[in-house]
Amino acid sequence: MSGWSEKVLDIDLGTQTYKTYPLDMEMAQLFIGGRGLGARLLWDMVSPDVDPLSPENVLIFTNGPLTGTGYQTSNRFSVTTKSPLTGTILDANSGGFWGMQFKKAGYDVMIVRGRSKTPAWIEIRNGDITFHDATELWGMRVFALTEKLGQDNNRRNVLCIGPAGENLSRIAAIMNDRERALARGGPGAVMGSKNLKAIVVEGKERPEIDDPERFKFMLYEARKLLNQSPLTSQALPEFGTVVLMNIINNVGALATRNHQQTQFEGAEAISGEELTDNYLVRNASCWACPISCTRISRTEKVEGEGPEFESTWAFGAQCGIDDLPAIIEANTLCNDLGLDTISAGSTIACAMELSEKGYMDSDLHFGRADQLAPTLEAMAYRRDIGSDLADGSLRLATKYNHPELSMSAKGLEMPAYDPRGMQGQGLLYATSNRGGCHMRGNMVGPEVLGAPKLIDRFQVQGKSSFVILHQNIAASIDSLVLCKFTNYGVAEEYFARVLSAVTGIQYATGDMIKVGERTWNLERLYNLREGFTSRDDTLPPRLLNDAPTEGPSKGWVVQLEPMLKEYYRGRGWDENGVPTKKKLEELGLEAL
Amino acid sequence: MPTVKLYANLRKIAGTKELSITGSTLGAVLSELVKQSPALDDVIMENGKIRPHFVITVNGHNAIELDVSVGEQDIVAIFPPIAGG
Repeated sequence: MSGWSEKVLDIDLGTQTYKTYPLDMEMAQLFIGGRGLGARLLWDMVSPDVDPLSPENVLIFTNGPLTGTGYQTSNRFSVTTKSPLTGTILDANSGGFWGMQFKKAGYDVMIVRGRSKTPAWIEIRNGDITFHDATELWGMRVFALTEKLGQDNNRRNVLCIGPAGENLSRIAAIMNDRERALARGGPGAVMGSKNLKAIVVEGKERPEIDDPERFKFMLYEARKLLNQSPLTSQALPEFGTVVLMNIINNVGALATRNHQQTQFEGAEAISGEELTDNYLVRNASCWACPISCTRISRTEKVEGEGPEFESTWAFGAQCGIDDLPAIIEANTLCNDLGLDTISAGSTIACAMELSEKGYMDSDLHFGRADQLAPTLEAMAYRRDIGSDLADGSLRLATKYNHPELSMSAKGLEMPAYDPRGMQGQGLLYATSNRGGCHMRGNMVGPEVLGAPKLIDRFQVQGKSSFVILHQNIAASIDSLVLCKFTNYGVAEEYFARVLSAVTGIQYATGDMIKVGERTWNLERLYNLREGFTSRDDTLPPRLLNDAPTEGPSKGWVVQLEPMLKEYYRGRGWDENGVPTKKKLEELGLEAL
Repeated sequence: MPTVKLYANLRKIAGTKELSITGSTLGAVLSELVKQSPALDDVIMENGKIRPHFVITVNGHNAIELDVSVGEQDIVAIFPPIAGG
């Protein structure tokens, strides 16, 4: 069948052996690839008794049938595992080049099991798999290691962990192509627990396309649509994602000082406009991406990719810091150490509040830009106070008897959007299967940017239907695996058409949404099996009880309860948030 | 007099970040704005309507209709199409 390589690479680090076998194509057609396929495989492999940092947990790397075809943004790949930060199912996806190279090596899926007795790295050169000793590489930071292992964007690509992953920080990322990240939920710690330092891939295979002429036309159409959209042809390339800083601040939804306020007086100083005017070196892009939203920024101390909006916010407004060079340097340091920037910044903000309120003995204070870099170093190496911060804000705040000060949902630190000013975003955070996350369906489009159409951000009734639709679309795009920014220019119907052209299987738009819904429900089943309940579909008390006293969101808290009831009904779940038998039958999940 | 704040590429087009503009409705403010900064005319408006994907807020609240009231102390923020996440 075209599109898929139809091959699984299954690696056991304990014995340093591997096997390959055919991909279950019935499963592939139902879940496509990426996040969906990863979730389905994890369901069978990792049960509730498995500790996320034990050898029994697995890392499942997946691409999709579009990966490596050259379709716009067909560079992405995904990793699925049980999260050591949240205990939920976790999938994280990343761009760059590695995903395309992995597909060209001839596999749809790579499963990594067990634990190597000594540090190891894996080299995949088409069909040849080699296990190397990584004892001398252990301790290396990401940038130096990536260069040492021969990163060459279109030919040889490096995926690795830094010191944070080695030291089992539960907010450690897996990095690829130097500065791209499988960031959220701590997959870097799972890789570290396996004593696996890096996976390097080289590939020569070209993905087979069922209808090359139709595919070529789809490429042309997508290019045209992306060029026509002001969002993908102007907004993202010109200012990058950080352009959101001023608008989110303007509408009173920019979480500030650990969500104590919803507007930051220093927003302009850390905005996309400021970054572009004073620190931007040039744009860059992932493989096969015409959007080029990546920033290459430079300060007196560093030059590197980013920072993205969420990272700028996490070290900026959330920490009360308006020093953009310090933020750029913190972002680059996280990439080199292999830390998730959102969780790292929000955890430091949590520590700042704990310290200022006298709950924790440290000198961390909001606004102290000079404290960012040393605190991040301490976190990655688990030195001093950094050891407390290395496992995220919920464990930190719980240790100091104030778990309510962790700005997380299901233990995952939330991103920049304060949901008191965006009710749908609040429901989205509370119900996200991997915890507080803006990539599981982002309501900033409809609630603030008017994309595709503006809806009232304070509206509660009826909001759940938008959230459900956006969650299902996000899960379907994550299963293809494409960049969600394409969806600003290319509608879902085009994804179905290009998937049909590549695979030869006729997918309609509704089928794609159904893939997303199927994936979402399977992830929900996984979390329920792990012991999560509807009580975990919640938000920090601050967001539910403490209304901002000024700004456009003044007087608002998240009206979660009515939205959640409506959401469960809309999902076809019972009042306890459990998918009904009828819903599971409808999605072909009744056997699970 | 209401304050108009401009963002992203609108700043370069208008040559400024901020202007004081007379007008008691959004439509009146925008008309006066393009008189003061003619380069913004086709950028913000199209056939008498706000262009798609432009976000305009009055005191941080989204304003879609041109007849929205604007007070003397109000802040009108104008964002060209922007995206991200």
